[in-house]
Amino acid sequence: MSRLEAKKPSICRSDPLTGERARASLAALKGLVMSCYGPAGRLKQLHNGRGGSVVTTSQSAALLAGLPVSHPVLKVLTAAVRNHVACFSDGGLFTAILCCNLVENVQRLGLAPTTVIKLNKHLLSLCTSYLKSEGCACRIPVDFSSTQILLSLVRSILTSKPACMLIAKEVDHISTLILRAFLLTIPENAQEHIILGKSIIVPLKGQRVIDSAVLPGILIEVSEVQLMKILPIKKSDSFKVALFCVSLSGDLSDTGEGTLLVSYGVSLENAALDQLFNLGKQLVSDHVDLVLCQKVIHPSLKQFLRTHHVIAVDRIGVSLMEPLSKVTGTWPIGSLGSISPSSYGSVKDLCIAKFGCKHFFHLIPNKTTICSLLLCNRNDTAWDELKLTCQTALHALQLTIKDPYALLGGGCTETHLVAYIRHKTRNEPESVLRDERCSQTELQLITEAFCSALESLAGSLEHDGGEILTDSKYGHFWSVQANLPSAVNWPDLPSRCGCGLYSSQEELSWSFLRSARHPFPPQTCLSREATGSADTLTLDCFTAKLSGLQVAVETASLILDLSCVIEDTN
Amino acid sequence: MAAAGSVTVALHVAEVLETIVSGCLGPEGRQVLCTKPTGEVLLSRDGGCLLKALHLEHPVARVMVACVSSHLRKTGDGAKTFIIFLCHLLRGLREITDKEKDSFLFENIQTCGRHWKNCCRWKFISQAFLTFQTQILDYVMDHYLSRHFLSIFSSCTKERTLCRSSLEMLLGAYFCGRVGRNNQNLMSQLMCDYVFKCTACESRFEEVLELVDDCFVELKVGVTGLPVSDSRIIAGLVLQRDFSVYCPADGDIRIVIVTETIQPLFSISGSEFTLNSEAQFQTSQFWITERTKAIVKHLQNQNVKLLLSTVKQPDLVIYCAGLNGISVVECLSSEELSLIQRVIGLAPFVLPEASSQYELSHTALAKFCKPLILRSKRFVHLGLMSTCSFAPHCIALCAPVQGLVEQHENALHGAFKMLRQAFKDLDLNCVTQTSDQSCTSGPCIYKNSRESNELPKIVNSSIQRSYQDTVVKKKGELAKTQTNLKVCSNLIVPSVKLEQNVLCSTPKVAVTDSYQTDETLRCSSPNKGRIMDDQEPFIESNSANSKPENTRRGISYENLQVTKLARKDSILPLRYKSLETCTSQSYYSSSIPAGCVLPVGGNFEILLHYYLLNYAKKCQQSEQTMVSRIIANAILGVPKILYKSKKGNYSFPQVYVRALQALQTNQPMISNQTGLESVAGKYQLLTSVLQCLTNILTVDLVINIKRQPQEVYDQDSEEEL
Repeated sequence: MSRLEAKKPSICRSDPLTGERARASLAALKGLVMSCYGPAGRLKQLHNGRGGSVVTTSQSAALLAGLPVSHPVLKVLTAAVRNHVACFSDGGLFTAILCCNLVENVQRLGLAPTTVIKLNKHLLSLCTSYLKSEGCACRIPVDFSSTQILLSLVRSILTSKPACMLIAKEVDHISTLILRAFLLTIPENAQEHIILGKSIIVPLKGQRVIDSAVLPGILIEVSEVQLMKILPIKKSDSFKVALFCVSLSGDLSDTGEGTLLVSYGVSLENAALDQLFNLGKQLVSDHVDLVLCQKVIHPSLKQFLRTHHVIAVDRIGVSLMEPLSKVTGTWPIGSLGSISPSSYGSVKDLCIAKFGCKHFFHLIPNKTTICSLLLCNRNDTAWDELKLTCQTALHALQLTIKDPYALLGGGCTETHLVAYIRHKTRNEPESVLRDERCSQTELQLITEAFCSALESLAGSLEHDGGEILTDSKYGHFWSVQANLPSAVNWPDLPSRCGCGLYSSQEELSWSFLRSARHPFPPQTCLSREATGSADTLTLDCFTAKLSGLQVAVETASLILDLSCVIEDTN
Repeated sequence: MAAAGSVTVALHVAEVLETIVSGCLGPEGRQVLCTKPTGEVLLSRDGGCLLKALHLEHPVARVMVACVSSHLRKTGDGAKTFIIFLCHLLRGLREITDKEKDSFLFENIQTCGRHWKNCCRWKFISQAFLTFQTQILDYVMDHYLSRHFLSIFSSCTKERTLCRSSLEMLLGAYFCGRVGRNNQNLMSQLMCDYVFKCTACESRFEEVLELVDDCFVELKVGVTGLPVSDSRIIAGLVLQRDFSVYCPADGDIRIVIVTETIQPLFSISGSEFTLNSEAQFQTSQFWITERTKAIVKHLQNQNVKLLLSTVKQPDLVIYCAGLNGISVVECLSSEELSLIQRVIGLAPFVLPEASSQYELSHTALAKFCKPLILRSKRFVHLGLMSTCSFAPHCIALCAPVQGLVEQHENALHGAFKMLRQAFKDLDLNCVTQTSDQSCTSGPCIYKNSRESNELPKIVNSSIQRSYQDTVVKKKGELAKTQTNLKVCSNLIVPSVKLEQNVLCSTPKVAVTDSYQTDETLRCSSPNKGRIMDDQEPFIESNSANSKPENTRRGISYENLQVTKLARKDSILPLRYKSLETCTSQSYYSSSIPAGCVLPVGGNFEILLHYYLLNYAKKCQQSEQTMVSRIIANAILGVPKILYKSKKGNYSFPQVYVRALQALQTNQPMISNQTGLESVAGKYQLLTSVLQCLTNILTVDLVINIKRQPQEVYDQDSEEEL
């Protein structure tokens, strides 16, 4: 009988955002995510007193996964960010900071939520339609004929994660590896639908980062004991492969729900083993060179295969099954009886490789889109962070294929957008006021809140007390060092803007980022030569950032719309 | 707890609930965040959801919540309005009882003890409410309100067809109360598209709604992490699992459903398999393998390309299927299976006893069958060829957080429930007994109309045509004359005048129904056409009997095409009864026709308020007057909250006064809001609230039990041998 217990009544609180507690926890979360943002971001060490490993990170995925949140409003916020990261890998901190800023700024205004939500939605559509438009000056088309932009994109992602602990040379090495791994997953004869392959990240901890490598095909880790049993591989052009998904250990499979009565003296084990030997004979007669099994192979069968010069590798695990069947072109065999010859596959070459202290069995395919990225880093924490970063970069590259654009990074997209929105709402407010039925003042207030949220997001890239400037021609982001002697005329100092597209050689007039200034129309239409001239740009993934922007505004609207919170205390 | 305080206590409880619920009411309502003990968060504006999440302890509150949820199960809408209306009713009741402690109503119970006196008092009141609900409400709905109803159906023919713009308005108003401010348009648009895409045959949309309501869980896919605006409709069916084997195939794909493993087992449950030798074991295993292969081969020969299985199939089956180019989807839930069976009408494949040739009778076709990737998760995407009126489509609901996905799911599901209710006829148990005293002053013109085919004086306009047909029926020894008189007139003056004449002579002539097209509605959606639901009354007048009964049993609706000369077309069916039948009692049951709607923004409430007050003035029985007054005033509570944030010309008093003026001068009520709501839903809500109120009032003592509840065994279900 189920345990019956009266449920405790829930606690109902109205206006969850106005309380001191809510404000404090929102500010705490905001401070946390803001300090992690960007290449100069500070690292966070997550330490659970009850056990588990210590995590050093500045990535939202790792940070929010380990961070317990008690306030219901923050639960919504962190859940939204985590879901965004699960979808796009990149842009988690961006989303979190923007959402916190928006909630805080709008909360301060004290306008009716309906107006705020309407106008926020309008401003968001202004942003998204501008970012998607042809005339957008903070978006550059990705040229797949050269690696320059793709490499910049990967490098930007790597540098923005300081917890990977990479030096400049290592960043270069890893970013080339990532790009190569990605390019290996693209099929050669692309039709209408490109089905990308997979790059498998193989861990190799405790090695130098420089030792990381990309290999085509699949690496299967084997222990030294197993290695001893594997015979020297004979030279051949091609190896015939059989891949089993069924257990070859000779155990009795499902016998049904009824009872099975075995007479005295009858040994089912022997019967099963006989069957296995029959299978082995068939494999040998079919000239199979390599037998791979997801589960366990019976030692006798292994011995039998070895005497017939067939290499057997077992306990491969389910995660490698799909890539293996792709690489070798086999059909995973689920039968112990007769095997159809069509389910065999082949590989071009087999070899045993040693990386660091680990031995691998390397399957080199004829032509497939699977590759292995052997990733090294000094310690576990840094490796975990690097692995996450590599996954993010690979995902960003995949998304870029779908939508061949990249956004300017380094805060330039944000400041440029701010200039655009300010200009747009100042000069063409009529359509908004008519459609949304609100007053001019309300529009101005909300626009200001929205813009300052974006500006403060860009400003959080600076952690060392520097000043942030913006120019009045492109609306880009320029940062200058702090503690400069006052005698120096500081506007001359910045040499390159945040994304690296423009240099201070041009005659630009600067102003402080968060100072009051006159709205100006930022120059639209990016010139071709501008993108070509700069060799290293800081770039962000277009799809991830666009979606992050939408999710941040939608979540902020959601939070601002809350009238009360019902907490179930059971 | 004594009953003396029951109204006060109930009012306190209701007021607390009202403050929570009223924040979410209407288009300006806000969201509520519910946290679960598991740490999940749920966003909601659904009244039922909120009330459940509160886990109320108070006995009266629990009664209320139980009433609300039973109402929701039926209609899927109106939980917030329920609480607000109930609260206002209780408030009205307390005011009345506070004022007139020794009113005429309770004089007879003065002598009793105080407690019992109170109990009796509440019993009287609750009985009065019950009488109101069963008699007066239906009467008022039928006689007065019905003429304001609009219909959601567009065509003038017999077939009911859905009109897109009015459906959009109906759904728009619904989602205004259910989802967040910035997603309302999107959701109603999505749902509207969905309904039209799923409806293969226009006239059978009711079946579609029924199916979608029943199987909604299987027809939606929730995707978290994407903006809400990415939500979309996917053609075909999406199963929330991946293929076990996927073999790409072109052209039409033949499907087979199995409910058991294809591979035979050693022994089935309840049987025993004896192994006597190792050879026997090997032979049986060989036989099993061969048999499995044979079955799969057989399927391939029949050109089957997809195997849907409700159970997990052994590795061997998967392997064989893959070799033979058959895709396999395993572990379908019983709900998914029943949905697929409803869509394609396919019975599960029964494994042949002998491995000989066996013609497959149970197959169906799909246009495509491919994997679908949503947020890096793989799903099975089937383009089933439907054999029923439902063209399979799925909704992918995207939102940043799971809580929001759930909110949208619940809102959509509720919307389908609401639509289903709205398109059902709702019977009113309108039992009106009219005595002959009031019929003396019947206007003589009506007498003539039977023969003369025209109504010259009543209507100052040309009557297009009027006809009558008489059917003489023999039933037993009684000869029943069924006079079916229908006067279709094209009125220029509003029909209200006529009705007022008619009302004082109910037994002779009664205007049962008239539909008047609302001008504003027509302007906003020009393609809607005119609404011309027509009731065709059957009057069976029994001339042989001295005490004839006039029964209108079934009402068949017929849309009549009337020459549209003037802008205000009105079809006026007249119920006619000969003067010979002086003493008459007329019982008739009427109904709210399917698809009846009213504009949103308190239109229904103000109308009912107005007519109830009118009724109360005319009513002789004091109890009924009082009850009608209380209800009439309480019902205004909802529009008051709706208009709370509006200022100036759109504030509640202004709207109210304008509406009353319009009603008094028989002008159409002009609503500034675009949106419609179902009348049937409102009516059901009203009756549910009244039932809940009587429920609360009749309880005189709450017994608090501390023990654990005992399991109640169903006596009937247990077989006793």
